[in-house]
Amino acid sequence: MSDNKPRNTFCRRTRREFLWQAGAGFTGLGLIDLLTRDGFFTRKAEAATTTAYVNPLAPKAGQLTPRAKSVIFLFMYGGPSHVDTFDYKPALYPLDGKTIPVKTFGRGGRKNEGRVVGPKWKFKQYGQCGKWVSDLFPHIGQCVDDIAFIHSMTADSPIHGSAMLMMNCGRILSGHPALGSWVNYGLGTVNENLPGFVVMLDPTGGPISGAKNWSSGYMPATYQGVILRTAGEPILDLKPPHGMTDAMQRRLLDTLREYNEEHRFDRPDATELAARIASYELAYKMQSHAPEAVDINSEPDYVKEMYGIGEARTDEFGRRCLLARRLVERGVRFVQLYAGGAHNDSNWDAHGDLEKNHNYHAGRTDKPIAGLLRDLKQRGMLDETLVVWGGEFGRQPTAEYAQGTGRDHNSYGFTMWMAGGGIKGGISVGETDELGAAAVSRRLHVRNLHATILHQLGLDPNRLSYFYGGLDQKLVGVEGADPIHELIA
Amino acid sequence: MSESQLRRQWGAAILLPFVTAAALALALGPRGEAADAPPATVEAAISPADEAFFQEKVLPILQDNCFQCHGGERIRANLILTRREGVLKGGDHGPAVSLDNPDESLLLAMISYKDDRHQMPPSGKLANDQIAILTQWVHRGAPWPAELDFTTAQPEQEVDLFEQAQGFWAFQPVKRPPTPTVENRDWPTNPIDAFILARLESEGLHPAPEADRITLVRRAYYDLLGLPPTPQQVDAFVNDTRPDAWERLVDELLASPHYGEKWGRFWLDLVRYAETNSYERDNPKPHAWRYRDYVIRSFNANKPYDRFIIEQLAGDELPDATADTYIATGFYRLGIWDDEPVDREQAFYDGLDDIVTTTGEVFLGMTVGCARCHDHKIDPLRQRDYYSLLAFFRNINHFRNGGPTDERMIFESEAARAEYEKREAERVQRLNQTQQELIAIENRFRMLASDSELPQKDLDDLHYRFYRDTWDALPDFDTLKPEDTGRIENNLFDIRLRTRDEAFGFVFEGDLIVPADGQYEFFLHAADGARLLVAGKEVIRHESNNNIRQQVTGTIDLRAGRVPIRLEYYQRLDEFGLKLAWAGPGVKKRLLSAPDDAHADKQLGKAPELNKDVAALILGDTGKALLGEQVVREYDSLRKRLEALKRPTRAEHALVVTEAGRDAPDTFVLIRGNASAPGDKVTPGFPAIFNLPEPTLPTPPENATTTLRRSVLARWIASPDNPLTARVMVNRLWQQHFGRGIVATPSDFGLGGERPSHPELLDWLASEFVDSGWNIKHMHRLMMTSSTYRMAGTTNPEALAKDPTNRLLWRYSMRRITGEELRDSILAVSGKLNLKMFGPSVYPPIPREVMQGQSEPGKGWPTSPPQEASRRSVYVHVKRSLRLPILESYDAPESDFSCPVRLVTTQPTQALGMLNGTFLNEQAEHLAERLRREAGENMRDRVALALQLVTCRKPTETQIARGVELIEGLQKDGATPEQALKYFCLVTLNLNAFVYVD
Repeated sequence: MSDNKPRNTFCRRTRREFLWQAGAGFTGLGLIDLLTRDGFFTRKAEAATTTAYVNPLAPKAGQLTPRAKSVIFLFMYGGPSHVDTFDYKPALYPLDGKTIPVKTFGRGGRKNEGRVVGPKWKFKQYGQCGKWVSDLFPHIGQCVDDIAFIHSMTADSPIHGSAMLMMNCGRILSGHPALGSWVNYGLGTVNENLPGFVVMLDPTGGPISGAKNWSSGYMPATYQGVILRTAGEPILDLKPPHGMTDAMQRRLLDTLREYNEEHRFDRPDATELAARIASYELAYKMQSHAPEAVDINSEPDYVKEMYGIGEARTDEFGRRCLLARRLVERGVRFVQLYAGGAHNDSNWDAHGDLEKNHNYHAGRTDKPIAGLLRDLKQRGMLDETLVVWGGEFGRQPTAEYAQGTGRDHNSYGFTMWMAGGGIKGGISVGETDELGAAAVSRRLHVRNLHATILHQLGLDPNRLSYFYGGLDQKLVGVEGADPIHELIA
Repeated sequence: MSESQLRRQWGAAILLPFVTAAALALALGPRGEAADAPPATVEAAISPADEAFFQEKVLPILQDNCFQCHGGERIRANLILTRREGVLKGGDHGPAVSLDNPDESLLLAMISYKDDRHQMPPSGKLANDQIAILTQWVHRGAPWPAELDFTTAQPEQEVDLFEQAQGFWAFQPVKRPPTPTVENRDWPTNPIDAFILARLESEGLHPAPEADRITLVRRAYYDLLGLPPTPQQVDAFVNDTRPDAWERLVDELLASPHYGEKWGRFWLDLVRYAETNSYERDNPKPHAWRYRDYVIRSFNANKPYDRFIIEQLAGDELPDATADTYIATGFYRLGIWDDEPVDREQAFYDGLDDIVTTTGEVFLGMTVGCARCHDHKIDPLRQRDYYSLLAFFRNINHFRNGGPTDERMIFESEAARAEYEKREAERVQRLNQTQQELIAIENRFRMLASDSELPQKDLDDLHYRFYRDTWDALPDFDTLKPEDTGRIENNLFDIRLRTRDEAFGFVFEGDLIVPADGQYEFFLHAADGARLLVAGKEVIRHESNNNIRQQVTGTIDLRAGRVPIRLEYYQRLDEFGLKLAWAGPGVKKRLLSAPDDAHADKQLGKAPELNKDVAALILGDTGKALLGEQVVREYDSLRKRLEALKRPTRAEHALVVTEAGRDAPDTFVLIRGNASAPGDKVTPGFPAIFNLPEPTLPTPPENATTTLRRSVLARWIASPDNPLTARVMVNRLWQQHFGRGIVATPSDFGLGGERPSHPELLDWLASEFVDSGWNIKHMHRLMMTSSTYRMAGTTNPEALAKDPTNRLLWRYSMRRITGEELRDSILAVSGKLNLKMFGPSVYPPIPREVMQGQSEPGKGWPTSPPQEASRRSVYVHVKRSLRLPILESYDAPESDFSCPVRLVTTQPTQALGMLNGTFLNEQAEHLAERLRREAGENMRDRVALALQLVTCRKPTETQIARGVELIEGLQKDGATPEQALKYFCLVTLNLNAFVYVD
């Protein structure tokens, strides 16, 4: 910079009060105050003295006309190989085994040459759009006319730790709120009996960095992801302790309320006390609603069949996909499903035997995902449910080791797709080079993906901000990012 | 705006270019006279050929690829490419086009996509013919008709923030204001009250009456200790009729060792205290808990705040540095750390940013971090100020989670250090002695066995670390994350342990067994790069990336015994590998590296026979036959002694900051915060808004290990003249006592922060704080003995209407206790609280379901036994990716950044945990046991005691009856008497009266 004068480039000059609550709960006055001042929330401030309970997750209108009400993010943890799934590279097959110069950067560092591993599956054209899809996904292939593929995704890191944070929270640095937290901060949830941001993990375990992936960072804990389980207690501490019947619990809660109302009598203006009283009733309702939401027994057999429930290979992921639909149906804003967990081949991280790894992970997810898309569509829910598929990065066209078919990570170019929620079907955006090593045309960044998701939900990615640490923080960063307009119907 | 819309707009612009006044003036003005535009813009009209070339070839490319972000919809990087003047003037990175050196033009570098940092347009590289056109255009002098200006984006209005900040309260010196006069002379106890009352009176408001004694004693216990008073403690105060009973109580609590636990936690929030690093592994930081203990001890000792600051920022540089002041510098090491960052250079500055940001916010209440990439948008802080502050820290060794740059041995006294050093020297001496005795026996055996082939074991305890990447020179391997590590059983440098043949590296470390005193020579053949260190000295450094297979040698004098040896190696392509041999007294030239058939090299001597083990032969029948049983026994015991002697003498370690010597590298402003785009050089300095001369940097003595720069910064921050330090700290103390700071944004005293509700009071407190010798307990005492603090929380409709948030303090603001206070209180009430202080952290049970969210469930959380698990929450291990549910749910801070204000959320998931969670139900059970133990058989007594324990008050008849009724009702519902009592206890732990402090 040549001059010493301060200049203004991209931090918006908005002076907004720090999230302040004057000793009150985040509910009650503080929140209403904040929301009103934030300007874009429509809720009018209510007189503090008459407010019994304001759910911080109460639904709010976004800044734009929403196209989607909910998001189902199918997180292919570990990083699926784009050249073996949706990014058809005919030129790569004949190069199999040849060592060629190609710049790569993965967990194995930077390399300037490598041995090509030709795609291990054949590709076929599907749908009216004629999309080439590999034999890994015969079911999803049937849905391509509803899907928009992004082949030119790029991310800032090819290392799981930082790349996971990037895809989930928009930064490679730890401590920022997750996408689901931003959505709930911006929109709230329409069902107060269920959490607004639900994460369903793979049975093998969580992703690396665990809770950092669904953390609300510097935002209130209200917005953090809640883990929902398909077996046992769906939500932590949802079930009353062993031996406590519903009648006992009701009695207990009634007594608690009597004590608390008595306590509140002398403090009539303390809305936070009212809020806490109400939170017990909500918890009680949640106890009955959440199990109902996760109970798929009421679903007809043909629906279960669509998701591959009952088939050994697809049953587990199918159940979670069906649950995702049920949650979205009940107003949950953001549902994230991890396909793959823990480490190594328990997820898509195919460093060793690519075929074995991808056959396994595609095999257990292909039919359930297709089932989800079809089921949403037949119910007319696809229009308002945005389905996102992809991992934290893709994989390299070359081998990672001296032996074998394993591919290292690739953040220079990879594929993600979206369906529903006002996204055009049957189209593809961007390209990688003929090897699939790097995005070359219409290169897009994770921030553009996030911007698109927010945009479809009616949130302006460049205006949705949270004042923290002296500036208006945004999911898409201070510089902002545009939605991918070509995808938007 | 869609792309097609954009195109239409540009289309229109091309047909009808609008001519700005400036452009007109330029076009009409005489050559070279336009003072404020670069002279290059004022040239004669361009030739028709150039104009056509621009219009037809160049403009469409710029329109489609550059305009949107550089002058069309927005202006990125301050670069405007929608008019010629913008092209020549350039943006943050400099001019886009250089007319003098067209080939050096940034524009051409950017469109060439030459590396990760030069890629424009970001959406993809231009076609070759487009690049050719722009290249030609640049070479032709970037012809562009001056009147064609397509700029539609409005540059942000430049505001002189320095002008705006003129006279801004926070940057003015603290002046002690006179105590205001008030109408109600009876109310004020001390000057604080006069300031509060004067303001209330000016608004026509009255302070609430004094709270009752029980409310007061409970408030005091929570505010100073974070624990509820016991019924005896309540009674003691309530029955204390002395006029100074309250003052005595405050003093008594300030003297309690548990005061430091409560207030230490307050400080830990600010300094982003955590004991792990986040990211994939989220590994523990070594000895982080010592910093926590240091903070607790400092609060308990009432360490003057200026000293507390200096110790944390520069405790290692103090002339009177002690173990404690070293531990204090753990402050620098508490942040997040990615052990495999995508960009090391950037990660280094991320680490410094964490320090600059935290230091600025915590000590100065300035959001300095906002000026990392550009000048601050709200405060008078230039980007240059950020890097001038960063320069104080520039020489800090980047964190690597342990090792000599992060850890330091600490001793209680100099005598203890001397004792340690003596014992360690003895150990090394005995180790070498023992090794020599072993060698002597082995040599004798070799002679007697007349087997010259019998291998001499040269390397011992050899370990390897395997790395993968492409390097141009030897990297600092210790900062990199290895792909694999392990022990090498054959004790030879062996690169066959690699997993691929190109782009990899190794570090081998172990002991070299030196048979005799004397000079040894080492012979190295290596492909790309290698470095040999023996006894801590570099013997060979070899870097030949052109793959010359020449032999490199080096010599070193060694003493007989064992010395550490380290070999670093990297290889880029599948080529010649690694050979290392040595020769010297008692060593006929032989290999230390594993034989590799492909590249056998006779010159380097034979590799040891791997199938013959001298030790095994000596200890076997041959040994007994040749040496005799007694010698073999001696050999065996020498070997065992050697193993024992290998263990270093035990010493305590602390997590500390270190620097890389007494000279710091230069610091540069990083353009847009980009580590690989250095701009102007800066020197350590204070932000310009303070109008201070350049600080004089001390010249560190020859043997200094740091630059002493941090001391300069620390002394400025801890100076009575600093306008912010004292204000920021007294405001934080006020915030903890009154629920809200006088400045409601306690880490942002800038223009974007809140204005003080009582500016004079803040200054009075700040000045009192400094005058008292930065005495924190004095400030607690002042605040707590004020009438303001002792007000009741009673409501008052008139005041509520005027000041609903109680900003003016017309009453005491009720607060919910923190997650830590809640957990500690539950344990205190149940009788299970273990008040043991200090030491390594504890790991209370975490439900399996929560652990399931980890990629390796249970990793990094070795659950403590019940008694340890029942210690105060300040001693619970702070793991960034796995938090104790009750603390997380009750808003304990996300520890990645400094947390100046705890948010208070109320949500149903908290209620679920409080009703159904294991911890609550277990503690309810313990409370029930306690009631049975302490309240006897009578149910009314039990109920009464429980209610008294949680509320600190003797319950009313109705309250007791309600509890008894619940217990009876539950039994009617089928609960056993034990269950019923337990569930009643659960209710008491859920009461608002328990969770809120009046």
